[in-house]
Amino acid sequence: MSFSLKKTYSIILFLAIFMIIVGIWNPHALMDGLQRGSLYALIALPLALVLGILGVLNLAHGEFLTVGFFFIYTLNARFGLDPLAAIVPTVIFLVILGGIIYLLTVKQVVNEGHLSQLLITFGVSLVLLEVINIIWTSRARNVYTNYAYASTEIAGFRFGTYELLYVVAAIAVLIGLQLFLKKTRLGQATFAVGQNPKGAKIVGINVEYVYLFVFSVAVGILGIVAGTMLPRTAIFPAVGSPFTLKSFALAAMAGLGNLNGILFAGILLGIGEAAINYIPNYGGWSDIVFFGVLIIVILVRSYRGAK
Amino acid sequence: MKKNLFILALLIIAATLPLYAGAYIMSVFTTILIFMALSLSWDMMLRTGQLSFGTAGFFGLGGYASALIVAHMGFNPLLSLLIGAIFSGLVAFGLGFVVLRLREIYFAITTLALTHVFSVIIRNMDDLTGGASGTQLSTAIFGGNPTKIYYMILVIALLVIFISEVFKRSRIHYAINAIRNDETTAKSSGIDVFKYLLFVFVLTSAIQGLVGAAYVQQYAFVNPESTFSLNFLLLPLAMALVGGIYTTNGPIIGALALGLISEYLKLIMPYGHLVVYGIIIVIVVLFLPQGVYKPIRNKFLKRSIVGGDSNANT
Repeated sequence: MSFSLKKTYSIILFLAIFMIIVGIWNPHALMDGLQRGSLYALIALPLALVLGILGVLNLAHGEFLTVGFFFIYTLNARFGLDPLAAIVPTVIFLVILGGIIYLLTVKQVVNEGHLSQLLITFGVSLVLLEVINIIWTSRARNVYTNYAYASTEIAGFRFGTYELLYVVAAIAVLIGLQLFLKKTRLGQATFAVGQNPKGAKIVGINVEYVYLFVFSVAVGILGIVAGTMLPRTAIFPAVGSPFTLKSFALAAMAGLGNLNGILFAGILLGIGEAAINYIPNYGGWSDIVFFGVLIIVILVRSYRGAK
Repeated sequence: MKKNLFILALLIIAATLPLYAGAYIMSVFTTILIFMALSLSWDMMLRTGQLSFGTAGFFGLGGYASALIVAHMGFNPLLSLLIGAIFSGLVAFGLGFVVLRLREIYFAITTLALTHVFSVIIRNMDDLTGGASGTQLSTAIFGGNPTKIYYMILVIALLVIFISEVFKRSRIHYAINAIRNDETTAKSSGIDVFKYLLFVFVLTSAIQGLVGAAYVQQYAFVNPESTFSLNFLLLPLAMALVGGIYTTNGPIIGALALGLISEYLKLIMPYGHLVVYGIIIVIVVLFLPQGVYKPIRNKFLKRSIVGGDSNANT
């Protein structure tokens, strides 16, 4: 895992210039992109954490998010709990669920090849998706809150304020993770395991425990995402699935283990996507941004690595 | 000898199926054969050590190429299958020069991303492809005759099985295994790694294009959602893994087993029957990492060849 900011200065500069250009052209695209980009980064952070420490690409990532959505939805429908307040029980629930699923499945393949890891998490994602399908059916649902559509106006430019919460949440989760990894004993152990699991084991770190902890916490973070997203999102069983690949796109762009980079990459791609969305008649092409950029970044990296 | 008889019996059953099976059974087996061919083509790429997630993408490209050429230029549907295969092969050839420099998880994810890119491009070329709503052909291939469609797909599946066997028995097999086991060693022994990878990539993509074209002609309909559906990646992948990878028999057995099980489950639980599918995959990966074929075969072989290395050359 790399935590140096030096390498990312050029990326930040590029991001700033890009934001200014888009902002001058269409401030709505900038605001929209900033918000959705932070959301992408927020969802990608736990995936990158698991990828960086365990080396496992969790294909069930999006489905864990969906489980979080439906858990909060149920809390809201049964007990009238506000989605944001429901984050606390949801995080606890997801940590336990993630832990159980880790112990039952991922734990067995964590030291094996990528193929069994990808396949087992794919199997888990299918199971989660279908269980959600069986319990809640495929009908789309949403939760109404009166604050979710609030907006404010600055100098004639009107934008939704609720989505700014995504930006706050993404930064908060990122800082929280960084502080945890640097300042706490368990965090430092996690960091060590991410760098060299064998070495960590030799110096007496309980690697198994760290893996379990990281996986559970990563799934738990999705509870925060679910709670903040739910007021603005209609949910159905497949709602979380596209986020798995998008999250991996960000993790690959940022480089393995580079948590800060994910936030920048997320905002960059979010703004790019929003900018294309606002071009009349060509809005449909915005979906290509993530995958196009992902392919280009991977290729550029591989060529640089080859030299 | 016993083995040959068994294969012959299976072939006869497959060839005579339309004589005694109803339309439903035939459609089930048509679908299974489609997934079997995809599963084999995915496994053939895997034998080089490259985990491809682009199966659905080349499947969809072939399907679209075949459908559009029939819809806009009035091609013979049977000939359009070939066009679908060639088109997918050509695209793979072009992309191969860039993509095949990648390894492991990056190759996997790039091919998966390519699938999405294909689907977005096709969705946005409304004039040619009909956009998100897709294109409807005037009639299915052979006027929708299920028996002829079954035979067409059976021929394709047999062709793919044949190619896979050729792969296993010809010299190319050594090169491919060497690349999978250790690329650096393979390179230093004089194997042109890139050439072999490109060859296998183009060939498997062409197969996927051919299968996609056949699938599309069967239903006379293309749309980005269903033609590029990730099911055409995930199900073949699961089938190969359940049956056992790096073999010809594995994907065949996996396709038959999973295809029949999921069809049965679809009947008894219309919603969420894939849940058992997921559980099967998890169980197989956890407890039968070699798939079901090898352990069973080894068990039988151990009786005759005691101490023989039954794992060699599979």
